Amino acid sequence: MSTKKLALIAILVAQATVLHYIESLLPNPIPIPGVKLGLANIITLLALVMFDFKTSLTVISLRTVLGSLLSGTLFGVGFLLSFSGALLAGCVMALLLLLSPYFSLIGISIAGAVAHCVGQLIMASLILSQPGIFYYLPVMLLLSVPTGCITGLLLWELVKYLRSTKQI
Amino acid sequence: MIKKGDAILIGIILLIIAMGFAGFHFWQSVKENNDLIAVITQNDKVIERIDLNKVEEPRNITLSGDHHNYIRVEKGRIRYEDTDCPNRICVNTGWLTKYGDIAACLPNKTIITIEKQ
Repeated sequence: MSTKKLALIAILVAQATVLHYIESLLPNPIPIPGVKLGLANIITLLALVMFDFKTSLTVISLRTVLGSLLSGTLFGVGFLLSFSGALLAGCVMALLLLLSPYFSLIGISIAGAVAHCVGQLIMASLILSQPGIFYYLPVMLLLSVPTGCITGLLLWELVKYLRSTKQI
Repeated sequence: MIKKGDAILIGIILLIIAMGFAGFHFWQSVKENNDLIAVITQNDKVIERIDLNKVEEPRNITLSGDHHNYIRVEKGRIRYEDTDCPNRICVNTGWLTKYGDIAACLPNKTIITIEKQ
């Protein structure tokens, strides 16, 4: 691994951790667990675009651990929820990125947001041993389309800028 | 900017959402009857089953664990009234009044569901 790549991964982890933490400070306007913008997902997808799946997994693991360390929920329920959501989102987005001739970054980002919801609900139903929690799924999916769109647009602009300045 | 695959993807997601909502409504209407049994569960153990139609005097239930949940039971409805868990999602869910309604407090590992018998 080159020193430059190592440094870039460290920057990605730092950015993702900060976004993860900032997001946990934002008030949740909707009384449904796990509904948030998913800003840290931008960095997961950026790591996939810049590097590969393995790097992205590194970023996901480090940012969920560091992010929940900051917000004081390490290895608690919140940590398990965001880790399982981020992991499934990373896997789905990596898969769709392989089919990138057919999908734009916005579509991949929406799929990531949807996968994040599903991953969280799977973990929540395991914690509570209560599959009824999937009652929330339709509402969460409905909200994940606009949130995925927003994060996808942000990433779109970011990648456009990085490419125009020859940084990736 | 938006590619063909994106449109198909969004279409499929919207279809799943629509089917989900329709499915839940169907499920609720099929099983509709007058029974309203609130089941309070903590750590996978059923703490209490309450027939909400037979509640005469409103009362409060306190669930202790990693946090405390204060549950309010009235005739035909039940809710998390207060909690000292960090995100208060359970309280914001509001009243549970019909079959299939559900409210959960993950930090305290409690869940209230409305069932029949």
